Amino acid sequence: MKVRIPPIPDETYFLCMLHNIGATMPERSLSIEEIAVRTAMDPSKVEENLRKLAASNYIEARVVGGTKRYHVTLNGIRKVLSMYS
Amino acid sequence: MVTWEFPPRIVGGIARHCYGLSRALAKKGHEVHLITLDFPGAPLYEEVDGVKVYRTKVELGHPDFIVWTLIFNHFMEKRVAMVSREVDFDVIHVHDWLTAPAGISSKHYLNRPLISTMHSTEVGRAQGLHTPDSYLIDGFEWWLTYESKRIIVASYSMKREIEGHFRLPPEKIDVIPNAVDVEQYQRNVDREAIRARYMIGGHERLVLFVGRLVPQKGVEHMIRAVPMVLKEHPEAIFLIVGEGWSKSYLESLTRSLGCESRVRFLGFLPDRDLVELTISADVLVVPSSYEPFGIVALEGMAAGVPVVASNTGGLSEIIEHDRTGVLVYPGDPRSIAWGINRVLSDKEYSKYLIQNAKRRIAEIYSWDVVAEKTLKVYEAAEENPRK
Repeated sequence: MKVRIPPIPDETYFLCMLHNIGATMPERSLSIEEIAVRTAMDPSKVEENLRKLAASNYIEARVVGGTKRYHVTLNGIRKVLSMYS
Repeated sequence: MVTWEFPPRIVGGIARHCYGLSRALAKKGHEVHLITLDFPGAPLYEEVDGVKVYRTKVELGHPDFIVWTLIFNHFMEKRVAMVSREVDFDVIHVHDWLTAPAGISSKHYLNRPLISTMHSTEVGRAQGLHTPDSYLIDGFEWWLTYESKRIIVASYSMKREIEGHFRLPPEKIDVIPNAVDVEQYQRNVDREAIRARYMIGGHERLVLFVGRLVPQKGVEHMIRAVPMVLKEHPEAIFLIVGEGWSKSYLESLTRSLGCESRVRFLGFLPDRDLVELTISADVLVVPSSYEPFGIVALEGMAAGVPVVASNTGGLSEIIEHDRTGVLVYPGDPRSIAWGINRVLSDKEYSKYLIQNAKRRIAEIYSWDVVAEKTLKVYEAAEENPRK
């Protein structure tokens, strides 16, 4: 039986990348600029994805030295792992 | 034992399987060392009911999933090598392709037999191979089956699938069903209090789904069945437990069907809460389109909840239709609605299914039995370890 597969949202792919580059706990959080470099994405696109993911509680932000840094939450990690398992 | 999932890093059935099997092996007096990945808040080393658990910190990252997988396998290999300085392993047991590279290289440098458990396949999960990554994952899976001395699967349907897809000799594959920790589901629970916690009224009937929110789990078909159930049972309320990448799609589908007041998405629940909620449900639905085993069905049966499941894969082997549960056509909302309505409409029928299911669970699906069978596979692999 064939399963109809809905398209995977862009922000979910982005969440996976954030997870795979290691931003999975507060002490490993990254700034928008750092994420943009490591994922080869435009900073404005990074910001847009982060906004969507924060609204769903899949990422969290914290301010360190005046800069906002982001990491994937436990729920976010589970969402990412559901892609692969 | 090498696995990418182990509690509290729980994604699907692999974590539960490794937890149950490793504890049962340790209980029998075997020394079990389990190498897995780190998880926020979990210690890098601990003993869990006699199982030595090593959580591996992955020091490097890369946005590409396959590259990341190879990186974490490297760190797992390193951890296996470090532990092997102190421990003389007899066998190496890996679970699924995600830890295949670490398992295969460990086999060669430790010169010990490799056993793999194939929990599912890429071709099954993705319903075909459609992307370069899928082809590579399929290749990893084949490579793991090739390098393994013995392969364990949880159902005959999975055995047929890998035998055909990877062209494996049938005698290399052992079928050992999954199990469930029955004691966990025998606790006394104040059903009314638990239901009140989730804002479910005394008159409402609780229909539960537990699983990853991905297409293969068939949640979409269950949601499409909701209006047909509500027509006969307006008191039914659907709780969906789990996370997954298709969650937003399923939420919007629920809204488009006008069912949002009767369908709630609870996200991930800790084990204790999940057990209590399962015990408090009126029916558990497992609407999968692809299911190599379906451990959640066993959990429902152990919890004394009637199970409505798709007649596919391992579910068809676990459930005997009209005796230990209700089997419905996979991917068919009408059939799923029929199954749910049948259980909700007849309390005596429900009780009959529950009694039979509990008996069946006690007879076949215990971790003690799984551990015994797995040990026999280890012994068979050790008989001629260099082959």
